[in-house]
Amino acid sequence: MPRVTIETLPDYARFLLAAAESAAAQFPVQRTIRLPGLELIAHLDSGTLADALGHAFVEADGGRRDLRQCRIFIGHPGVGDMPVPASWGDAHFTEHGFAQKLAEAGLRGHHFHDLDFWQVYDPDRRVGVQLMRSADAFPPWEQGAPLRAFLHWEYAARGMRLAHAGTLGLDGKGVLLAGAGGAGKSGTVVAGLLNGLDSVGDDYVLIDLDNGVTARPLFSVLKQDPQGFARLGLERRLGGDRPINWQGKHAFHINEIAPRPMRATLDISALMVPHVSGGKTSSIAPISRKDAIIALAPSGIAQMPGERESGFRFFSDLTRLLPCYRLFLGTHPEEIAGTIANFLARAPDEAERDHAGL
Amino acid sequence: MVETAPAPLALPSKDRPFTGVVQGSGNDTTGAAGRLELQSGVKDMPLSDVYAVASRDIVFESFDGEAVVLDLSNGKYFGFSDSGSKVWQALSSGVGTEALIRSAAGAAMIDVATLESFIGQLVEFGLLAPSDATPLPSSDDLPAALASAREPLNVSVHDDLADLITVDPIHEVEEPLGWPAVKQVS
Repeated sequence: MPRVTIETLPDYARFLLAAAESAAAQFPVQRTIRLPGLELIAHLDSGTLADALGHAFVEADGGRRDLRQCRIFIGHPGVGDMPVPASWGDAHFTEHGFAQKLAEAGLRGHHFHDLDFWQVYDPDRRVGVQLMRSADAFPPWEQGAPLRAFLHWEYAARGMRLAHAGTLGLDGKGVLLAGAGGAGKSGTVVAGLLNGLDSVGDDYVLIDLDNGVTARPLFSVLKQDPQGFARLGLERRLGGDRPINWQGKHAFHINEIAPRPMRATLDISALMVPHVSGGKTSSIAPISRKDAIIALAPSGIAQMPGERESGFRFFSDLTRLLPCYRLFLGTHPEEIAGTIANFLARAPDEAERDHAGL
Repeated sequence: MVETAPAPLALPSKDRPFTGVVQGSGNDTTGAAGRLELQSGVKDMPLSDVYAVASRDIVFESFDGEAVVLDLSNGKYFGFSDSGSKVWQALSSGVGTEALIRSAAGAAMIDVATLESFIGQLVEFGLLAPSDATPLPSSDDLPAALASAREPLNVSVHDDLADLITVDPIHEVEEPLGWPAVKQVS
């Protein structure tokens, strides 16, 4: 089996792209997914991943204006002439060095060693390949947010960004919820959805800074651990027989609990950092932008391969555009949602006044 | 998160590598030639006349006057207090160490020993490195900016996710568990 080193990495990445494009006619399944400004055409085998592509995304309506097309080949040696994936050589491996080497060659990529799982993307030609040992040899997180690395690279090339953040909104105006895992983002999003607020996503949302801060949906999946699932009343609503995913969480979809069809965008008016306070009631207090960026940026950058500096610059710009708050979470979902709804109903200049008083 | 405030003036030791030792006694930092003789607190390692950002992997942004630095190579974030931000801004833009110390003379939140220790910390963290460049004078408004600082010199280190970035997932993970279970040193 061939072994890849940092020196041979760009050549191997080009080899994978060429092999996939040569085998294009041999992929049994083709799926077209309409996302904001992007038509993603996936060529793949039938099976779990093809099923996931059918239900993991929130497809965009919208016209064809500014619509770009990208092609992703999801292959394994059982598809036509697709090669057996190579392993990494013995040299020390770092994500940063890996990404830098590919970036010098105009490419993007990611390698998950346990499975010899490769993802390579050419942002200039908008062609990518995901090579696996077999049809089901992919990391467990791929099912919830499939192809997220390719979306990350494609949108980053266009000045947008996948943020690791939740969203809640009302009448088109919303807040971005940032923080590391366990901070309370997902529980807050579910609490809001169950009590009349909108969301364009939890975990990963697409952020655009062209006209203020806009959040758009990409993935439809929500997750809750069994305790949160029970606490939020989801057992009664969705049934207690939901399977547990790789993180030990129940996965479900936004439209199963949303009060109305999902909006195409939310105009984000504040950045909030949830904090499980232990108090009965929720409250919102201004925090410095320095503290907010440190809550927002690390997980978004660490979870996405490559584009680290551009991510830091992007999240910095985002943070400077918004007033920032800590959201002290109470214990009752209805009260949490009410607190956020009241905040969103305030006049826009109140938020700026809060922040100026820091 | 690790809150890292510079230590007070103390002799360097094995357990205290960066303590801001100033040659001479007390706060008298002026040597025979009228030049500041400074040490970072590392044994036998004098402070440099001037510093530069240590590498291209060190990137930083400012938020309402407060600096946040990211080391792209290891995923560590550094959040600076207001006084620390002004010191970082000056040093990273090439202001000479001596000029900076003179500018801080009237700052209630900054004493010389703490400032030297703080500079040593920034070098230890890999954010700054000694430079051969000609030291720049401080800006006219730097003394007032330092004097108006409300917080002591401080930099907090945020490395919660740094392991996910720095570990070699091929050679440094627990075999049966795989990524991201990092192999523990026994």
